[in-house]
Amino acid sequence: MKIVYTDVLVIGGGLAGLRTAVGVKQRGFDTIVLSLVPAKRSHSAAAQGGMQASLGNSAMGSGDNEDVHFEDTVKGSDWGADQRVARMFTHVAPKAIRELAGWGVPWNRVKQGEREAVINAERVVITESAAAHGLITARDFGGTKKWRTCYTSDGTGHAMLFALGDQTVANAIPVMERMEAVALIHEGGRCYGAVVRSLVSGELTAFLARATTVATGGYGRIYRVSTNAVICEGTGTAIALETGVAELGNMEAVQFHPTAIVPAGILTTEGCRGDGGILRDVDGHRFMPDYEPEKRELASRDVVSRRMTEHMRKGRGVKSPYGDHLWLDISVLGKEHVHKNLREVTDICRYFLGIDPANDWIPVRPTQHYSMGGIRTDHRGESTTLKGLFACGEAACWDMHGFNRLGGNSVAETVVAGMIVSEFIADYCADSASDINVSTGLVREFVERERAQLDALVAGRGSESATAIRQRMEEIMIDQVGIFRTGNELDRAVTELEDLLRRSRNLAVRYPNPGANPELVAAYRLPKMLKLALCAALGARQRTESRGAHFREDFPQRNDRDWLNRSITTWPAPEASLPKLDYEAIAVTDMELPPGFRGYGTRNHIDHPDSPARHAEIEKILQAVDADDRHARQRALMPFDHLLPEKYRPRNQRLETSA
Amino acid sequence: MKKSLLPARLDLAQSITGLVLAVFMAFHLIFDSSILLGAGAFAFVSGALECELFFGEKIPLITTAVVIVIFAIFIAHAGLAMRKFPQNAAQYRTMRSHMKEMRHGDTSLWWLQIWTGFAMFFLASVHLYIMMTQPQTIGPAGSAYRIVFEWKWPLYLVLTIAVVLHAAVGLYRLALKWGWFEGQNPNRRRKTLKKAVWIVTVVYLTMSLAALGAFIHIGLTGQDHFGNAVEGIAR
Amino acid sequence: MSNETASAARTLTLRILRHNPQDPASEPRWARYELEEYEGMTLFIALNEIRERFEPSLQFDFVCRAGICGSCGMVVNGRPGLACRTLTSTLPSEITLAPLPAFKLIGDLSVDTGQWMRGMSERLETWIHEQAETDLHALEERMEPELAEQIYELDRCIECGCCIAACGTARMREDFVGAVGLNKLARFRLDPHNARTDADLYELIGDDDGVFGCMTLLGCHDVCPKELPLQTQIAFLRRKMVTVS
Repeated sequence: MKIVYTDVLVIGGGLAGLRTAVGVKQRGFDTIVLSLVPAKRSHSAAAQGGMQASLGNSAMGSGDNEDVHFEDTVKGSDWGADQRVARMFTHVAPKAIRELAGWGVPWNRVKQGEREAVINAERVVITESAAAHGLITARDFGGTKKWRTCYTSDGTGHAMLFALGDQTVANAIPVMERMEAVALIHEGGRCYGAVVRSLVSGELTAFLARATTVATGGYGRIYRVSTNAVICEGTGTAIALETGVAELGNMEAVQFHPTAIVPAGILTTEGCRGDGGILRDVDGHRFMPDYEPEKRELASRDVVSRRMTEHMRKGRGVKSPYGDHLWLDISVLGKEHVHKNLREVTDICRYFLGIDPANDWIPVRPTQHYSMGGIRTDHRGESTTLKGLFACGEAACWDMHGFNRLGGNSVAETVVAGMIVSEFIADYCADSASDINVSTGLVREFVERERAQLDALVAGRGSESATAIRQRMEEIMIDQVGIFRTGNELDRAVTELEDLLRRSRNLAVRYPNPGANPELVAAYRLPKMLKLALCAALGARQRTESRGAHFREDFPQRNDRDWLNRSITTWPAPEASLPKLDYEAIAVTDMELPPGFRGYGTRNHIDHPDSPARHAEIEKILQAVDADDRHARQRALMPFDHLLPEKYRPRNQRLETSA
Repeated sequence: MKKSLLPARLDLAQSITGLVLAVFMAFHLIFDSSILLGAGAFAFVSGALECELFFGEKIPLITTAVVIVIFAIFIAHAGLAMRKFPQNAAQYRTMRSHMKEMRHGDTSLWWLQIWTGFAMFFLASVHLYIMMTQPQTIGPAGSAYRIVFEWKWPLYLVLTIAVVLHAAVGLYRLALKWGWFEGQNPNRRRKTLKKAVWIVTVVYLTMSLAALGAFIHIGLTGQDHFGNAVEGIAR
Repeated sequence: MSNETASAARTLTLRILRHNPQDPASEPRWARYELEEYEGMTLFIALNEIRERFEPSLQFDFVCRAGICGSCGMVVNGRPGLACRTLTSTLPSEITLAPLPAFKLIGDLSVDTGQWMRGMSERLETWIHEQAETDLHALEERMEPELAEQIYELDRCIECGCCIAACGTARMREDFVGAVGLNKLARFRLDPHNARTDADLYELIGDDDGVFGCMTLLGCHDVCPKELPLQTQIAFLRRKMVTVS
């Protein structure tokens, strides 16, 4: 039995994982990154449009600060977010941008003087100040009051991931590629590492660590059509679930991106609409202003996706062999802008559709895009129930996104969470409480269990086809656990998924090779994916309200009275076919921003009984604080500084000193 | 330990020697082709190059001196360029199959350069040695005699083709290698350069091969193609 | 557009070079598969269909399947390129696929570009060598907007390995640094945060395994899926490196 020891085992080589590894390494701890693919090929690279951080440098971002970013994020989350975490996040985001600039991310910069932009389908002239010249600029994204999304053309995730990948090499951090964690090793509520399978040789190795960090991204591939990379199968989240100890949060909160191309399902960035692109229907009519007169195409993603689906249901979609779609029109931005600032989009249109988006409309429809749910952690990034297990990025439910994530907040979360969580991991590792005294017997038990399961698959005694079951799961998820959900359909979805899970315990593998074997990989991942699908479906079934991306046609109201909480799922026993569902209340009484109207979407919710009291209390508290000192006002309402690692507590400098 | 500056010097030297040789050949072939204007023209040009106008008679030693210099540059260039050749059978096979699979213009042109260079290593050496040792024989009659009766025409035929191709492609590669003439749109400029290479090749080959034909004509008939008798061709 | 009528369906023949170096009994061989083509079919779709229907053991790498991550570099009809964004309609009905040469073969069409790139990165130290540590709390250092764009232009490299596979020099001499590394050095050289001098770079690439090894065959430039200006960047570095003294 091969055992590798390290201080911090990082599972996942995307932005969150790499930033965590760099953080703990710089604090002097040993770390190993495991990645399914070369780290720079991670799905983080596909983030195109940008990263939100309230620098407020550009004219359209003037007056921006953490407060505005916080408010946008909480409203975007439909009050599902942990407001303290959202505060920590918005406070550190500008630092993350600046750190990355130092590491070479070539953020687009403010150019002084006049420039043309398209806002609400009209050409306008924006004048940038000389004082801001050369500072990092930002573009508009959905659900934000200010232009806050910092970017490098439309390859932001790529530029960030490569800068961090380079830092990983600079810090001599080993990245073990084509290695898949198939189980977490744990005992007595403490995680000790993972059983890891080489995708090349099939060999199993036990990695033991003081801290194990899951940063494996989302679980989009449980849906048939997803913008996610093909590796985004949620297996990192699933192995945490399979411990039976770690909790997952808000698994039903699944975001659909409004503009993925049809039929390939490849994303075209929100930057298309942020920069002024518009949505049109079968008649070429721009329909979003009919539904959302204020934010139009730039309402939050959940709202735009629903409005688009609603519009197609009215028969206004464009018919195609691949189903209905709508048009995204960025030709209004002009050839130069499209070819320069939306270059990745231009490439995707050229290669996958054979069109030039500077001249032609792009066929799009809402497509699964992001998993708000994940491993439930505290503000330090540690699992609420399994000590020594940390999670960050999309794999985690940290929880700054609640039930809907704003565009530009995901890549931001990856690095910000990596910065913050790595400090807490380092603190944890520095403490003798993190010492591992695990018996090799336990390790052997975990390795042998995995080996037995793999051997059974290879022995080929099963009869079910992994492909057929998987395809059915993907269909159920997209058809019944998609943008619009109803109790009946969710009932059927849960029942059928349960059945699929049972069948998945009897899979046949045609090619009996224990080493590199794509079919075997698909087979052992399938039950993991089905468990996640069940968590999402059951969570959606039970949540009889509509919040953020979770929309129940039979319960269209947001119901703060009964549902201002987080869904918590655990897997009770290996042989179980359903997760155990609990709820974690979100207290209104200490919220900085108590629930209210988001400012877009339908104004239709049931108030929480504590809301009026909290509103009154806030008013009273604020009366006693200097009206001009926004920091003091914020501190009086909901202090969060003490939650941050000390090095990240200083305030962020901005051009406008009043901000 | 500081890295040696030698690789930089050698790389530069390879380019400079190549450039000098190419420029030399550009003039050389034009001078040769003066035969197309008749035996008198060639006699005049070859005389002028050996400073006949200045001294009143040809000074063959000038040719010898020039050839010695060119010969030295030629050997240096060959030596420097050979460093880039496939060094063993495995490399040779890899490169060949790579080229066949890729079907990529510039890669194939390099292969052409290797082979023309290889050919010239022998052919040009013979030519240079003769010019160095027998400069006094250069002239309409002497040259025609050498080409026809000393059986140099096959050598010159191959050498001419090799040198024109090698030099034209070499100049093109040199421009790309050092980033000369990149202009605003280097991709478009590269296409233009490549077109120029083919034009130069065609023009020079036509001219030089016609000149070779003119010498053969003189050798066989004792007169140039305008009918002027050329004295001194004796079998 | 998607709702146009498709032309008559072709039958595609895919010839795939198969070999599993993990298996001592395996010998490289060409395997043939036939597929009905349909509209919008890419090599990503075609290969998955082959694995699904005929050959569960067939190995290949796709991640983003959108031409962004660089995982699926392979030799398509003799030329290195990204398989995921190659529409079969742009190819003749007989398609040959082979793994990228110059990299360690993992199996069939899957090669280990990751370790190669890591080695290159360690050798050339392809990261910002900062002059001073960034103050995270203060205003960022200013940069001319055009310079940021210029850096991004070179930063778009996805390390797919196509430039290495298309390079005659890299094929013959495995220590040759290749266009990917040279482009990175050119990119970091532009960056005002960077503290390395040309003399420092000379130590890394001032020899025939470095920039002077390049014979300007430009296979790299012509196959680069991101259309990076590799020709001009290598020429630029060559000029800089000969003037170091």
